[in-house]
Amino acid sequence: MNENSQREPGESGLYNRIAVLRAERGISRQQLAEAMDVNYQTIGFLERGDYSPSLKLALSLADYFGLPVEAIFSKEPFKPLSQQVYGAGRARLALHTESDLEESA
Amino acid sequence: MKAELVLMGKRVDMAARTRRRALVVLIYSTLVVLMAALFVADHWRTTGYYLVFATFLVNRLFLGGYNFGGLIKPFNGKPPQRTEAPPFLLLAMHVYPQEPVSSEYRSDEREMQMRDRAHYQAYQALAVALAVLWLLSSWNVFRPHLLAWIPASPALLIYGLVLATIVVTLTLPQAILLWTEPDMEELSE
Repeated sequence: MNENSQREPGESGLYNRIAVLRAERGISRQQLAEAMDVNYQTIGFLERGDYSPSLKLALSLADYFGLPVEAIFSKEPFKPLSQQVYGAGRARLALHTESDLEESA
Repeated sequence: MKAELVLMGKRVDMAARTRRRALVVLIYSTLVVLMAALFVADHWRTTGYYLVFATFLVNRLFLGGYNFGGLIKPFNGKPPQRTEAPPFLLLAMHVYPQEPVSSEYRSDEREMQMRDRAHYQAYQALAVALAVLWLLSSWNVFRPHLLAWIPASPALLIYGLVLATIVVTLTLPQAILLWTEPDMEELSE
């Protein structure tokens, strides 16, 4: 799966968690594209960080996932979710599990 | 942009950029050959118009953008205005039913951004073409000795360049989009 939450920011210079959130919820690109009223190719560009969305699209994505915009898009690489939720101390085990999960996704 | 072209009822997969680039090269090569052939035929006296009609046909069948059909969605994002009642055609009257804009014709925000970028790039090329035309016209009128080395008439050369510029104006934004957009991903991903 293409995702850029921690690797390269892509052409847009933004990191995002769209691929992770989509995999977590079992949503296909096509389903997300239909919900956002965009072409499914655009979802791929967003996930790779090759396209910087409009504020309207970013807010629509935030609404769709029920998260604040800054939980989906960032100028800095994201920390793994587990590390953010459980803190650095308890996250070592969770970090390992999550990176495995993301790689397998 | 559409992932496939329908030609004579057959679907041709154009998701790969290499295929789209090959199509662009083929289209411009054909138009250059056609332009040369029309010059040989009658120095574009009447056949110049055919080149413009051929360009419209190329847009209709392959490129799209300024026509319905072809790989690029209509630049204005509007579906074709369908005439439902055939008798009105005979009277050259049209009935435009109110239909919602379907996603097949409407571009999303990224596609609109790419469309605008392609037009910006095309504008730069056309500005250069216009500058060359201005220079040649200026020499033709005020300093004809500078164009004395041209075997054909300078006016004919300028006419040919205008014709080529019209062809490029009608096709370049679409060609840039086909050339630059990366390989399209599978729908199942």
